[in-house]
Amino acid sequence: MTTLINPIHQNIADAILEPVLNIPNAIEINNVSVSFKSAKGTFTALKEINLTVKKGEIVALIGHSGCGKSTLMGCISGMTKATSGEVIANDKKVTGPGPDRGIVFQNYSLLPWLTVYKNIYEAVDAALKHLTASEKKTLVEDNLKMVKLWEHKDKLPGQLSGGMKQRVAIARAFAINPSILLLDEPFGALDALTKSSMHVELLKLWNLDNREKTIIMVTHDIEEAIFLADRVVVMNNGPAATIKEIVDVPLPRPRNKKDIVHDSVYMDIHDKLLNLLIDKFSIED
Amino acid sequence: MKLFLSKYILPIVYFIAGMGILAAIWSVVAQSTNNEVPSPINTWEVFKEVLQNPFQNDADIKGIGTKLFSSLERVGIGFGLGSLIAIPLGLLLGSSKVAMNIFNPIIQILKPVSPLAWFPLGLAIFQDSPKASVFMIFICCLWPTLINTCFGASTIPQDHKNVSKAFGFSTWKYITRIMLPYSFPHIFTGLRLSVGIAWMVIVAGEMLSGGSGLGNFVWEEGFNGGSTAKILVAIVIIGLVGLFLDKLFSMLQKKVSFVA
Repeated sequence: MTTLINPIHQNIADAILEPVLNIPNAIEINNVSVSFKSAKGTFTALKEINLTVKKGEIVALIGHSGCGKSTLMGCISGMTKATSGEVIANDKKVTGPGPDRGIVFQNYSLLPWLTVYKNIYEAVDAALKHLTASEKKTLVEDNLKMVKLWEHKDKLPGQLSGGMKQRVAIARAFAINPSILLLDEPFGALDALTKSSMHVELLKLWNLDNREKTIIMVTHDIEEAIFLADRVVVMNNGPAATIKEIVDVPLPRPRNKKDIVHDSVYMDIHDKLLNLLIDKFSIED
Repeated sequence: MKLFLSKYILPIVYFIAGMGILAAIWSVVAQSTNNEVPSPINTWEVFKEVLQNPFQNDADIKGIGTKLFSSLERVGIGFGLGSLIAIPLGLLLGSSKVAMNIFNPIIQILKPVSPLAWFPLGLAIFQDSPKASVFMIFICCLWPTLINTCFGASTIPQDHKNVSKAFGFSTWKYITRIMLPYSFPHIFTGLRLSVGIAWMVIVAGEMLSGGSGLGNFVWEEGFNGGSTAKILVAIVIIGLVGLFLDKLFSMLQKKVSFVA
């Protein structure tokens, strides 16, 4: 049986679907392998990873410690060189770090001898050389106000709490206005309450930017991954880690932290991820 | 009140107690040598005498202050030049394995040589004994600063280097915003050690070189029929100035330290 579709309707459908289907790719990871040479021989951290991330998407990389999540992140940021394969970010092959990709490091990586203000200013000054001094200052001020740390601008990182340091690191990454934001276990060192509010803060910043920034984050926290991400990439245990499975998170946004946990879709995804990450559920005595 | 006591009063009490013990030992030594070694009180009398006209600067008679400053000047020049070479070289060795491998054997061979052994060499080079003392100070100031600076620069955490890489710091920005600030506490440890050694060595150097300076004062009073009391006075002055230099550099060291 053939179905006749009115050609006009077909055109309308195409017009609606077109921007949805043709969202450009922000990141393409093609056959990336990474191995390190050591005295004991060659250690393969990642093996033939393929992953495409659309513009504006939030993707979480999840897996056990040492499974190569951070290495994969390094390949996207350009901090780590892929042994084979290539990473394309914003249609350009990644050969090193660049201002189109902002990084928030695992341990904040603020320079302890510079004030909060200076930490961000130096990064802006180095990454956005074409701006004038006053434009750079405005950028620093705007971003510090955005993370509500303007009153603390003259403090040294040692005088800040973990959550505040993390906000400085996020403000620093946002200040260079990257289209891709790379977060390497950004909230790992924070207590549960601070972590929760940081999740909301991050999504707020993402919304402020019309959800145009692509965010990739490494985490080992299932709840965090589901709450934030559109897709969760589960990785196998290393060495020679590969992608085990990619789980979609079709929960509508904005997501509410309290309500979402009772959602059956949430619970299904949670169980699925748990199953993928943990093989044994009971302790055999 | 209790805080005030422990912060301001107690250190003074401890200081007086320490000085009291020193004076007691000194007195015992003075008595047992039948005042060959003058007692603290006799030394104090000579001290006041020496301190008259401290900045007299005639051709044949020079005041103690003039001698002190001529010693300090030599230490300053030698220490300054030594640091000027040791700090950049230390940063280079700390950041480049190749440079480290080339320079390390040279440093290891030259470092253990007694500063005094450099004096004749300095004399041969400059044909001038005060300049030879400066040269000696210069050499002995190199090592502690060089080694500590090198250690500082070679232990910059990967985290800090990652910041530089991720945001595309220029080499200049990396040196001035990361390498130097991270290394400063180590550099100042080296400078503090260097200035301490320099102050010890200058007295020995001036005993060899003659001319002016505190070392020369000790030499003349000690071997040309001078007074032992004046030597003791010189020892006290040398000690106090050494203490002052050490405190100065320890203060600078605290200033450049940071909370990681």
